[in-house]
Amino acid sequence: MHIPDGLIATNEPTSVTVTVGMWILSIAFLAWSWKKAKTTYNRSITSLLAISSAFVFAAQMINFPIAFGTSGHLVGGTFLAVLLGPYAAMLSMTIVLLMQAFFFADGGIMAFGMNAFNMAVIGGLSCFLIKLLTRGSGGNRRLIPSIFLASWLSVMTGALLAALEISPAFAGGVMVTVPSMLFYHAIIGLGEGAITAVLISSVQRMQPAIIGGLSLLKERTKP
Amino acid sequence: MNKHFAVIAAIVVFLAVFIPLASSSPDGLERVVETFGVEENAPYWSGVMSDYAIEAIENPYVSTLLAGVFGTFMVLLAGLLLGKVMMAKRHVSE
Repeated sequence: MHIPDGLIATNEPTSVTVTVGMWILSIAFLAWSWKKAKTTYNRSITSLLAISSAFVFAAQMINFPIAFGTSGHLVGGTFLAVLLGPYAAMLSMTIVLLMQAFFFADGGIMAFGMNAFNMAVIGGLSCFLIKLLTRGSGGNRRLIPSIFLASWLSVMTGALLAALEISPAFAGGVMVTVPSMLFYHAIIGLGEGAITAVLISSVQRMQPAIIGGLSLLKERTKP
Repeated sequence: MNKHFAVIAAIVVFLAVFIPLASSSPDGLERVVETFGVEENAPYWSGVMSDYAIEAIENPYVSTLLAGVFGTFMVLLAGLLLGKVMMAKRHVSE
């Protein structure tokens, strides 16, 4: 759901306002996550952050077919959020999006504010939903279903925001973009949920110690 | 550092296996744009390797694989750099 610059109408006030507004929102959230990250993590996060970002980049290249001649791919926001916690996840996904936009023109430069919010910020925030659903404990039986639901919802939320953001380019406006974006992404989100659930449960089996996202939130709620 | 190379190697294998299997259909957003016949404006930045392909390489598999490996490497480096900068200016002592 990377929005290209081609969908931004630079001569249209609504489109420009949305574009600028999303840049401001994204910068605000990224500044917050940067500030939080500096005081939350220790040095060992660097390696995991770099490796998981690289993996998410590669995974995003692999589109899976859904239906109606349409495909989708893992976004990986919730995956990163469970591994790294919300703050580093936002920064990690931002790096992925930045490299995609700069080197591969996947997602626009002007549209970067929107894409960063829809995928990086929403992905990071999904950590809080998982925390809520699992009541802060990473080890219970609710974890995998919660991760599935949060992944699906993060894709749906991103798609809804993208639908609103691209609507100025459509003659029918939000009345056509919202239902159609939600329709396709409801299916793509199932793939996101399934892949994220499988990835996290394999990591949990092989390297349980590196799943830091939830324990991190847990620690912070107990002063 | 060895760990990073091992992970890169694993990601290269992952890409090598899955790139031929990946769907080339439009994604959800592209499908919506197509369905409603929206004309996109010409982008003013078309990237270094637009659409994950290296122009000089004719074989599409090799081209996409190399672009993917390059991107993976760039993201890894950027991640390491970000982590370094983030931890260099820590406010709390470990």
